[in-house]
Amino acid sequence: MINRWMVLPVAAVLLLSIAGSAFAHHGFQSWFDMSRSVTVKGTVTAFDWTNPHAYIYLDVKDEKGAVVKWSAELGAVAMLSRAGWKKDTVKPGDEITMTGNPGKDGKPIMHLDKVVLAKGQELATAL
Amino acid sequence: MRSRTILYAAILVMMASLSPATRAQNAARSGSPPDISGVWLVENFEPRLFPKGGAPFTPWAETKFKATNPLTDDPNLGCLPLGLPRFMISVPYPMEIFQVPTRVIMIQEGPQTMRQIHMNREHPKDLDPTYSGDSIGRWEGDTLVADTIGFNDKTWLDGSGLPHSEALHVVERIHRQDRDTLVDDIVIEDPKAYTKPITTRQLYKLKPDWEIHEYVCEENNKYSHQEK
Repeated sequence: MINRWMVLPVAAVLLLSIAGSAFAHHGFQSWFDMSRSVTVKGTVTAFDWTNPHAYIYLDVKDEKGAVVKWSAELGAVAMLSRAGWKKDTVKPGDEITMTGNPGKDGKPIMHLDKVVLAKGQELATAL
Repeated sequence: MRSRTILYAAILVMMASLSPATRAQNAARSGSPPDISGVWLVENFEPRLFPKGGAPFTPWAETKFKATNPLTDDPNLGCLPLGLPRFMISVPYPMEIFQVPTRVIMIQEGPQTMRQIHMNREHPKDLDPTYSGDSIGRWEGDTLVADTIGFNDKTWLDGSGLPHSEALHVVERIHRQDRDTLVDDIVIEDPKAYTKPITTRQLYKLKPDWEIHEYVCEENNKYSHQEK
């Protein structure tokens, strides 16, 4: 059975893969290494549902158990809405996994590709 | 009976073969311009006019381009208007086209700017240079021909940072190829910056179920500090 959780991420990923490689977007090339991918798991501390980009802030425990504060940059609110996101898709306290392009200089930041939410749903970002 | 069938068939064929231009002229005679309204999304998104390089720079423009840092100098970082043709080719968000008798108005979702094409006048003399320039338009059959001058030099032609001067002149031929496809054939001339005209074609697809959402670029912009 195809439900919208399957269709929307595929559509969003398609859009991103078509556009993302060519989109000389203002900020993200300066901060993120678009050739690498990183995945982290942690607890959401905030979700900024704003323009020009939404942001997820995540507390991630490193190997030593210390908390590293990660942030992920997403696309614009309108496009995220069309890809199935809402302002409460991610809430403080949620345990999620984020995958994306990491910061160029080792900073705990990423340009988000997708999240896996607490209950297992996958959602891709959108421009 | 057979001759009447042939007659009816001939009439149907003649009606069906009326070109879009003829149909548009008929529409114009009847008072309504061709309909290009709706929510449109860029197709085959490519924000750069020359993805592989090769812009026909004058020495002035080449110097300016080489000195431009696309990561910090982009006027769009501060949510400023995009100008032309960037408004039409470098935005992966939808735009909506409205037609009223005196104007064609386009609203870009990102970053919530608009341009208007004046259908009832010529360019004013002594234009004050603006980000969007002054656009006038007329219908040629089913094609909207839009002519824009009066730009300031603060925008980029595209997402790669191509510069231009206040001499920029943009001519667009916009037509609705079919119900779901809009075509904008764009000619860019700026003798101060480019040794020959630059042409590009942008396709858009109709998004009948989409609305233009609010998009406040200044709300939480973490990149505006990068502007010089």
